[in-house]
Amino acid sequence: MGKELVATAAEANAKSLPECINSSNPFHECSDYCIRKIAEARQRLDDEVPDSSKRPPEERTLHPDCINASNPYHDCSEYCFKRIADAKAGSFCSIDFIVELPYHVLSLYVVTGSERAQKEDAGKSHVAEQQSEENEAGKQEDAAGVDDGYPQMTEKQRKLFELQLKMNEARKANQQAMVAEKKRMEPRGESRGVSKQKWLEDRKKKIGKLLDSNGLDMSKAYMLDTQETAEVKYKKWEKEPAPHGWDVFNQKTLYDAYKKRTKNIEVDMEAYNKAKESDPEFYRDASSLQYGKVSKVPEENIDKMVKELKDREAKRQSFSRRRKFNEDKDIDSINDRNEHFNKKIERAFGKYTLEIKNNLERGTALPD
Amino acid sequence: MAEHVGFSPWRSRPPRRVGGGVEAASDPSIGVLTEARLPRVTRVKNKSSSKLQITAEQIIREAREQREPEHPRGPARKIADADELAEYLLGERKKFEDAVRRAASCGSPSAWVRYAEWEERRGDLHRARSVYERALSSSAAAQRDHALWVRYAEFEMRSRCVSHARNVWDRAVALLPRVDQLWLKYAHMEETLGAVANARQVFDRWMAWRPGASGWCSYAKFELRYGEVDHARAVYERFVAEHPRPEALIRYAKFEAKRGEVERARWVYERAADVLTDDNEDAEALFMVFAEFEEGCGEMERAPTIYKYALDKMPKGRTDELYRKLLAFEKQFGECEGIEDAIVGKRRIQYEDEVRKNPLNYDSWFDLIRLEESVGEKERIREVYERAVTNVPPAEEKRYWRRYILPMD
Repeated sequence: MGKELVATAAEANAKSLPECINSSNPFHECSDYCIRKIAEARQRLDDEVPDSSKRPPEERTLHPDCINASNPYHDCSEYCFKRIADAKAGSFCSIDFIVELPYHVLSLYVVTGSERAQKEDAGKSHVAEQQSEENEAGKQEDAAGVDDGYPQMTEKQRKLFELQLKMNEARKANQQAMVAEKKRMEPRGESRGVSKQKWLEDRKKKIGKLLDSNGLDMSKAYMLDTQETAEVKYKKWEKEPAPHGWDVFNQKTLYDAYKKRTKNIEVDMEAYNKAKESDPEFYRDASSLQYGKVSKVPEENIDKMVKELKDREAKRQSFSRRRKFNEDKDIDSINDRNEHFNKKIERAFGKYTLEIKNNLERGTALPD
Repeated sequence: MAEHVGFSPWRSRPPRRVGGGVEAASDPSIGVLTEARLPRVTRVKNKSSSKLQITAEQIIREAREQREPEHPRGPARKIADADELAEYLLGERKKFEDAVRRAASCGSPSAWVRYAEWEERRGDLHRARSVYERALSSSAAAQRDHALWVRYAEFEMRSRCVSHARNVWDRAVALLPRVDQLWLKYAHMEETLGAVANARQVFDRWMAWRPGASGWCSYAKFELRYGEVDHARAVYERFVAEHPRPEALIRYAKFEAKRGEVERARWVYERAADVLTDDNEDAEALFMVFAEFEEGCGEMERAPTIYKYALDKMPKGRTDELYRKLLAFEKQFGECEGIEDAIVGKRRIQYEDEVRKNPLNYDSWFDLIRLEESVGEKERIREVYERAVTNVPPAEEKRYWRRYILPMD
């Protein structure tokens, strides 16, 4: 039945136009209605976006089986092709990497092949057997499936195609890196009293399109998050805020630092056992009279201790990060000490004096 | 008054109108004799802005540009022989001593520490030691400064003087027994040096001061690092005797569970359940952890009994979490009855509450009756009916009795 599945999908796909919005559905067959809709969409696009640079490019690398085919801006890449090939091959053997699973867990997996459905009643041992059987079947199909991922292309053409994909990806990555660097390097704008508005606008720009396409409001922007990003967010909320300011070295953090250091202790069991034998009072308690007795400590241990201390000190250097010097900031100090003082004062009172400062800069106070 | 064409940035007066004197002279209303010599305030006739203007920003910029370099370096010296070296050192020490005297008024020992570190860098351990000792005896507050003790001890450790270091740690720990950091660092030093017996003694001395959970746990972990499971167990026993709280018991039980000692773990959990008082917040956590442990062991009958026991014992307000877990557990492993029981149980408690609050509210009685009927246990239904019927309406008025008689209104 699995093979039939693919066959039907293939023949269904033959009728599905890549520009149809239902093209990602493998069973969809385009009809007159679809063709009409496509024409309308094209018309709308022409009306909306007269600027041809923003239009979806006419030529794009598109595989009709890609699930993003309906997205006019989508460019199929390596990943897309791999996924398509996997999906096709997967209908034969989706779980060929599992050898032994408890029976009730296996039954939870989605099963496509009818042979699997029949053999579901078999026990665990049969399952293992069956897996290896399907492995072989799967591998054969796999080999066939890979070629099916790139229809109507010879080896050479396929290679050329892949190279083009890689070039596209590289271009995109370069662009993004360039933009990010520019943003980092250029002087950061005046952050006094401007930030919230600008941040809101930026955000709106970024997700505005997505929101509109899903018919969402700004207040429901969280609906756009995938499960992974949402989980990351929840984790962040649940995390306790790290102590800052005078509280950085409280008992808890010092204890945690100690625990980290204990991970680096090298436990020398032979020396330990030797010491245990030689010393009658090995398990001392607090009142033992061995306290204060001079014990000979081998040199290497002292070396170890000194080395550990030096490592700790080196680590301490990187405790505070050095901030970037902003040359374009207004100078409001006559001195280095003055500058340092101004920084401290800004940290403490900045948010309260923001209004006053802005008013002074402007020359007049706002009538709020 | 001399007119300043330039401007002195350290004067705090507003910018003077530079052209004022010239114009005053040309003003016929003020006589020539009064021109700029009299100390009285000239009446300003011309209020237009002067040609030379300056802003605060420019003042600041000029000040910044014209400043002298901070910390100007003296000329480079070449030290030719021992005398010159002694002179140079004397000069440096004088500077440090001055700094130390200035810092004596405020509490921070940083001046002392800088002085001692300079001596250490020179290699003069005796002097460094004496500086630290002076720092410690400079004020009572300095003796209580654990950071200073740590610096002193780390100096001794860096200079490879183990006995001196031990001495310093000993004094520090005797003076400030409540500062965990000192104990931890002391024990860590002994352990790094391989003197495990000493480390054990240090930990034991620390436990005599009855520290918090972190202290006990670090002791137990230390024992486990050397594979001394029995000793670790003894430590945990003492810990639990010291802190008879659920968190301590949970930790103990988790330690046992990790060792694979299921029996012991169970015993600890049971002790915990006995030790607990009901309105303890962590009781809930304890029961949940206990039940999870039983699940993990594969004891599918004990787990729900624990949940139910907990639900009975705990005050109603804090049972949400428990109910949720019980439901989840039943859905996973239990049978139909168990799940129903759990769900019904929660409802039952709700209705019982309502009924207790308002015994004359017959609607709540009917809810309870219907719930029991849905479960289907005859005895319980009968019992509920009996209880309901005893709540006779207070007065001989028709409207009270109406509800009593007619359930379907």
